[in-house]
Amino acid sequence: MYSFAHISDCHLGANRDPFLRSLEIEAFNRAMDECVRRRVDFVLITGDLFHSNIPDLGVANEAVKKMSEVAASGIPIYVIYGSHDYSPNETSLVDILSSANLFRKVVRGEVKNGKLKLHFFQDPKTGAKIAGISARRLGIERKYFEMLDRESLEKEAGFKIFAFHSAVTELKPDYLTHMVSVPLSYFPRGFNYLAGGHIHQHLIRKVDGYGTVAYPGALFAGYPRDLEDTAKGVRRGFLIVSFRDDVENVEFVEVPGPEYLYFEYDATGKNSTRVAEDLETKAGELPVENRIVLMKIAGEMSGGNTSDINFMELRNTLMRRGALYVGINRHGLTTREYGAVTTMAEDVGEVERKLFRENIGAVKVSVDSLRGDAGAKLAVELLSVLRQSQKAGETKKDYEARMLREAIHLLKLEEAFQG
Amino acid sequence: MSAVGQIVSGRVSSILIREKSGEKIELGDLLVVDEKDGYLILKVFDLLYGSQVPQAARELLAGMELEGHGEAVDFLEPELRSYVLAEVKAIARVTNRGELRIPKTLPGFFKSVRLISEKDLGFLTKPPCPVYLGRVRSGSKVLNVDVFLNGLDVFTHHVLIPATTGRGKSNLVKVMLWSVVGENNFGVLVLDPHDEYYGRHGKGLKDHPKAKGNVFYFSSNPVPGTNTLVVNLKSIKPSHFEGIIDFTDAQWDAIKIYYNTYGEDWISSIVSGIKVESVAPRTVDVLQRKFNNALGVYMDDSGVLQCRSRAFSDTAGESTIGEIIRLLEEGRIVILDTSRLLDQAELLIGSIVVEGIFNRYQQYKSTGELDDKPVITIVIEEAPRVLGSDVLTSMGENVYSTVAREGRKFKVGLIAVTQLTSLIPRTILANMNTKIIMGNEMAPERRAIIDSAAQDLSEENRTIASLDKGEAIISSNFTKFAIPIQVPLFEEYIKNYEERSEEDDRESTVFIG
Repeated sequence: MYSFAHISDCHLGANRDPFLRSLEIEAFNRAMDECVRRRVDFVLITGDLFHSNIPDLGVANEAVKKMSEVAASGIPIYVIYGSHDYSPNETSLVDILSSANLFRKVVRGEVKNGKLKLHFFQDPKTGAKIAGISARRLGIERKYFEMLDRESLEKEAGFKIFAFHSAVTELKPDYLTHMVSVPLSYFPRGFNYLAGGHIHQHLIRKVDGYGTVAYPGALFAGYPRDLEDTAKGVRRGFLIVSFRDDVENVEFVEVPGPEYLYFEYDATGKNSTRVAEDLETKAGELPVENRIVLMKIAGEMSGGNTSDINFMELRNTLMRRGALYVGINRHGLTTREYGAVTTMAEDVGEVERKLFRENIGAVKVSVDSLRGDAGAKLAVELLSVLRQSQKAGETKKDYEARMLREAIHLLKLEEAFQG
Repeated sequence: MSAVGQIVSGRVSSILIREKSGEKIELGDLLVVDEKDGYLILKVFDLLYGSQVPQAARELLAGMELEGHGEAVDFLEPELRSYVLAEVKAIARVTNRGELRIPKTLPGFFKSVRLISEKDLGFLTKPPCPVYLGRVRSGSKVLNVDVFLNGLDVFTHHVLIPATTGRGKSNLVKVMLWSVVGENNFGVLVLDPHDEYYGRHGKGLKDHPKAKGNVFYFSSNPVPGTNTLVVNLKSIKPSHFEGIIDFTDAQWDAIKIYYNTYGEDWISSIVSGIKVESVAPRTVDVLQRKFNNALGVYMDDSGVLQCRSRAFSDTAGESTIGEIIRLLEEGRIVILDTSRLLDQAELLIGSIVVEGIFNRYQQYKSTGELDDKPVITIVIEEAPRVLGSDVLTSMGENVYSTVAREGRKFKVGLIAVTQLTSLIPRTILANMNTKIIMGNEMAPERRAIIDSAAQDLSEENRTIASLDKGEAIISSNFTKFAIPIQVPLFEEYIKNYEERSEEDDRESTVFIG
């Protein structure tokens, strides 16, 4: 019997807070140590190992040290890009580490006659064959799925793993309805294991014709929402898959962290003085010692301003009482007197989409394509075009010209700018 | 244009025209009487013989011919003495300024009439947010005049498509939907029990040049790139069954208890046989059987929840309903292939989506956002399954009937397709402000259609019975008169559109591993 570890969404470098950052790398180290202890035959990381293509080098250094230990113990590490650690314009740390043979990127393929033909990588020890599709920002990998030559993949014999970093439409949790996803019908059939990344809660499903589809979820937290979910009971860890000719068992291995305390406060109908008093009282009562404390303060206050509440002092009180970290989410807190534009979502793209959608009504234009959902969608797309950074070797002039050209193309204004 | 006849007598409801010899006026023909300040459009609803020769003389002459007493015997000046009379009705008056009015006076006595020409229908212009229906038909002649209706009006105020089998109902709906693909003013939900709209096995909406990103197909047996129709049992609330499955009071009570106790896991709890003290085991057994029969869900021998149609699951499909609602709100066409589902399962899934979208649109109305939202229309075949009097009486109101009665306030409408209009209550029929009437031989059905039409179609009974495949009459609050049309054959109609350019930039795509 063989086994491999399926890890995903480590998001190393996501947290700015030093304490959370230490937990982030600690979770990674623990997971790697467990892989060594359990003598898995290989480790497969299905994207977002790092939170950005060039993460904080201190974090990277820690991770490299640990992965070197794993590799030195004879356990190869296989990696695919996630949506965060890939950049179309710059080299990614994943590339550098792959070039240094610390791990191996296992997604290989070529486009021929409009079809994407993937090549299998075979793990030398177990004979497991791995193919897959890495993630690209804004779900551009969907195009790869559209072009995928499934037949050639399905014909291959042996124990097959398909690694990917996308949400599967049919398996998306309810709260991720708006997340760009790929329908299951785009995946090749007949694989033994579909190793997913991108969804931050662990999920293991047997699907007729597709074998086991699994997501380990985030190892620690890539977003504040992950912390909130952990505090509400979502367990963090990775998967160990045992197999012979087919998957025998998928075990979720929890990587425990500190205890959490989650507290919600509804400020609706109370004035800012009352809210401040209530929170002060709560801060003195809650059992916060040795816990990560997450507070969610929401609702429309009847009077006063949000700035009347001293959140810094609230945080300090909780820290003085022994909290390990205090996170205060007050995005949903508004007052009747001062409406604020706030939104909460899973990722930046989603926040932008929501903000545009909620506020586009305030822009009065006569062109249909700039209004409503269509206008919001166009705005998000324009933002993503304008957000591109300068390519290596590209002059500033060429960069500006490219930005202008792509924006004009997106807005379908070529005719207006001709001549 | 030359005259085809002349007005000889009649009244407002039935004007008699003598047909010119050598001409052939058809049932359903549109004729025109030119007037000083415009022209009047007439429609033929019956034809009869007229003759100056007394009946006895005609009978004698026929006998002589039949019995061989003089083959050369004929009437004197037969084209003058025997002729065809057309019974017509004035349906519209067009002024020289192109204004359309309902005729309130008779045309000039003894005026000559001519066949309608394309020029006479210049007032049929393309409205904003157009939905294509076909070309104007005069009798069996198809004129080169396209008929569009404003989809925002028509879809909001419901559409009824009554006809017997084989008259082209689905073909008409396909043509209508094809014309709105990519027009994001409309979100269309198609409950497709025959899997005929997407074009899995032939031409369909998938072949539209703008299908990608605008036409979405959910099937329990999806083709690559399309979505699996799988609904998580957690998405189902007891209210979704209202009017869809007949539960007794005791069963409803049990359902409420399970829902209150287990929340969104209530169906799984019943199916897996979890006991609740206040519910009799026999009631749970019956509910298990009902869910098994209606949804196909049951526990297998190893205690795992299974679904025969694969359309329901306790592990997958959590976001399916949200995804469908999101697509509709973005103005897309969503086709649910329900061909592998039992009737009740199909209606239940529709009910969940419709309730979801209806609730959201009610919310948008209260927050003032509704104006920015596309109109939603729901295509439902064999509409009496949910809108029939018997169903509504025995099982009470359901979300479809609520939409039929109140949907227009919230920009949600139905396209109800049926063979049996008479089963739908008059109160609901009266709310369906556009009827696209196709051929129907059954007199009671024609009567129900005519009685609820937007225009007076009392003289059209015979015409409706004689409508051939693809021929239809549009009776709508949004047209001044009932327009006869010929719906093109879908496969022919879509030939006008360019073939979808085969994934353009695929060759230039660079794969990054």
